[in-house]
Amino acid sequence: MSATAGSVRPVAVATSVAAVLTTLAGMGLSLPPLRVLIEQSMVWHMLVQMPLLVLAGWCAAAAWAPARGLRWNRYGLSGFMLAQCIAAYWMIPALVDRAVVLPSADAAKLATLWLAGLALRLGYVQAPPLVQLFFIGYGLPMMAWLGLYLASTDLRLCNAYSLESQTRAGWGLVGLAAALGMAWLLGHVGKGATRLTGQVIAVDDDFTAARPLVK
Amino acid sequence: MNTEARDPLHGLAGTFAVCLSVLAVGLTAIFQATAGGTAFTTETLRRTAVEQAPVAVPDYPVVDAQGQTHSLRSLLGKGARVVIVDFVYTRCTTLCLAMGTVFQQLQAQIVEQGLQERVGLLSISFDPLQDQPPALAAYAERMRMQPALWQLVSLRSDADRRRLLDSFGIMVVPAPLGEFEHNAALHIVSPQGQLVRILGPGDGDVSLELARSLAAVPQPSGAQ
Repeated sequence: MSATAGSVRPVAVATSVAAVLTTLAGMGLSLPPLRVLIEQSMVWHMLVQMPLLVLAGWCAAAAWAPARGLRWNRYGLSGFMLAQCIAAYWMIPALVDRAVVLPSADAAKLATLWLAGLALRLGYVQAPPLVQLFFIGYGLPMMAWLGLYLASTDLRLCNAYSLESQTRAGWGLVGLAAALGMAWLLGHVGKGATRLTGQVIAVDDDFTAARPLVK
Repeated sequence: MNTEARDPLHGLAGTFAVCLSVLAVGLTAIFQATAGGTAFTTETLRRTAVEQAPVAVPDYPVVDAQGQTHSLRSLLGKGARVVIVDFVYTRCTTLCLAMGTVFQQLQAQIVEQGLQERVGLLSISFDPLQDQPPALAAYAERMRMQPALWQLVSLRSDADRRRLLDSFGIMVVPAPLGEFEHNAALHIVSPQGQLVRILGPGDGDVSLELARSLAAVPQPSGAQ
């Protein structure tokens, strides 16, 4: 919990609480008695547990990561890259199956998706909008494309789930991608459209002003 | 202001190094998990794995439609026959019904081409609770199975069923209306009892061709 000048900031407390709760919920879904949910439903697995774990890592970074930018993460590139790699890995149907069947793969899933959330947040806060747009601009379409494919194919791509479950998860992924895209856009509309382009030029000023590397 | 503000590329080398390392590790992990980027589903991975390294089919007691107990191996290694195996449950109204049609066509082709001594068919039920001998007999009747050519068996116990499905890599999941969904495929088992190839449900012709060529290879003084 971060305290400034002796007083505890309510936002920081709320984020810390959210980080703990989402972590517990995300991990709890891999243990009995809740495990049956992710074993039987692709929606619970890919649209509840996986996003919860990412959200948990995100909240943890928001609550506890130092505010100053990291040297090896300029423009948030490293954070985005790590999050993207982990997300791509867990979108592969064979690996979703593995996480259902193999406890070791499931443990790896819990750890890496949490880490992906953390990395995403560290990337996001250090990235200018253009870099954000670049990663979001291919990450979310990738998710939506996978969703459409899951929803429209007659092939069962995961041996662990029924076709019906796969179809629902597919539409869910499309919805999630759309919702995340809208959320990102709305977050920037508030700041004004000019800032989106304006900041591209003044990227570094903003970067150093917000998080000075050298005091 | 510091140098960072004046030169936007300052200090990017470290970030690029980290990014490339992350990308290399990520791609390696994905490459390894997908058989070199060729198999993105468990089903393709299973087929690739068997094609590269045949698996010995384990032996369990099975019951046929007459209620007689056999060992699975005795049904597979009979004579010098290659056996095409599929997994079914007799209440099925969806995919196994399609599989049943494929097997019916295979049966007709085997008879037509006079391959009875070289290629056999075996359907294994993964629902030992429901598929007792009477249910098997009814299904055999419905499918017009020729017992010498196409056999239908069920396992004795749930534990055996689990182990056999695991060895073949079959996952059965409950589906709406009390049905099951499972990865349907044609499994080619050599006269030595080795699972050598797995083909898609639509590859009946290919499987027969393959079974015929496997059976054509002279076996050193024959299996049993």
